[in-house]
Amino acid sequence: MTKKIFIGSDVDGLEFKNHIKAFLYQKGYSVNDLTENIKADFVTSSNLVAKAVLKHGGQGILIDEYGMGSFMVANRHKGIICAALSDEHSARMTREHNNTSIITLGSGVVGKRIAEQIVMRFVTSDYAGGRHQIRIDMLNKLC
Amino acid sequence: MIISIGCDHIVTEIKDHVKQYLIDLGHSVIDVGTYDKIRTHYPIYGKLAAERVATKEADVGIIFCGTAIGITVAASKIKGVRAAVVKDVQTAKYAKKTLNANVIGMGGRVCGIGLIEHIIDEFLNAHYQETEENKKLIQQIDEMVKEDYSQDKGFFDEYLARWEQGDYKDES
Repeated sequence: MTKKIFIGSDVDGLEFKNHIKAFLYQKGYSVNDLTENIKADFVTSSNLVAKAVLKHGGQGILIDEYGMGSFMVANRHKGIICAALSDEHSARMTREHNNTSIITLGSGVVGKRIAEQIVMRFVTSDYAGGRHQIRIDMLNKLC
Repeated sequence: MIISIGCDHIVTEIKDHVKQYLIDLGHSVIDVGTYDKIRTHYPIYGKLAAERVATKEADVGIIFCGTAIGITVAASKIKGVRAAVVKDVQTAKYAKKTLNANVIGMGGRVCGIGLIEHIIDEFLNAHYQETEENKKLIQQIDEMVKEDYSQDKGFFDEYLARWEQGDYKDES
């Protein structure tokens, strides 16, 4: 599959990130791990993934203990719409309605089976466009 | 406390319920809308509610849309705001204690009223606990937004004009 998926985590999310990465490989996706060899905090990991998505397109996945620090940082990038997720319904809706390019998962919040379901919905759902685009244009005019 | 609240048209009744809940708890509420079920756009209300917090007119903001994500993304792009999407009590407490979150978003089609009220109770009772590490992370988050859009009352007008012209039609 050609879809570009960038992944990153802080130190707290490292083991969880490796699980998600292995899961995506198993499903046939190639994953670019941007924090493979560094001990990052969530500011660093989120900046790396947000910049990669802005430059290369594709989708990003960020992991820290609660997913909230990464959410705050990723959304500070103009043109990035980042969703913090812990359930499958929000995963599907945010891709379809919000044209989300990055998701965050909290390694201390969501279990691995649910996280796998969230990730699959995120990478397989498509943005619906149409009336939703006005909201995306509005978000993208903000930072 | 003074609390700004906002929502999109999907969950107006939930915002209205929370408004009364907060008033009953003794808080003052600034309700930035929306006020009815007529189709509108969540970034308008996420921005308005967050800006009331950024300008210190409100102490915290509480916002709602279907999943919380759209409206909370809008809030998180406002200078001076640290907004969290929450659907459990522990995350809300963490967001306040560690990241000094000043806005929380909840999904009216994801969370029930019992959970929403519980999250609000514990979020409002939590306190930021500063450490050197938290302080540095928060400073880095804050410095990422330079622009202040709060005085631009027609910030979204170009898109609303295009909406009126029918530029944003769903494919049938």
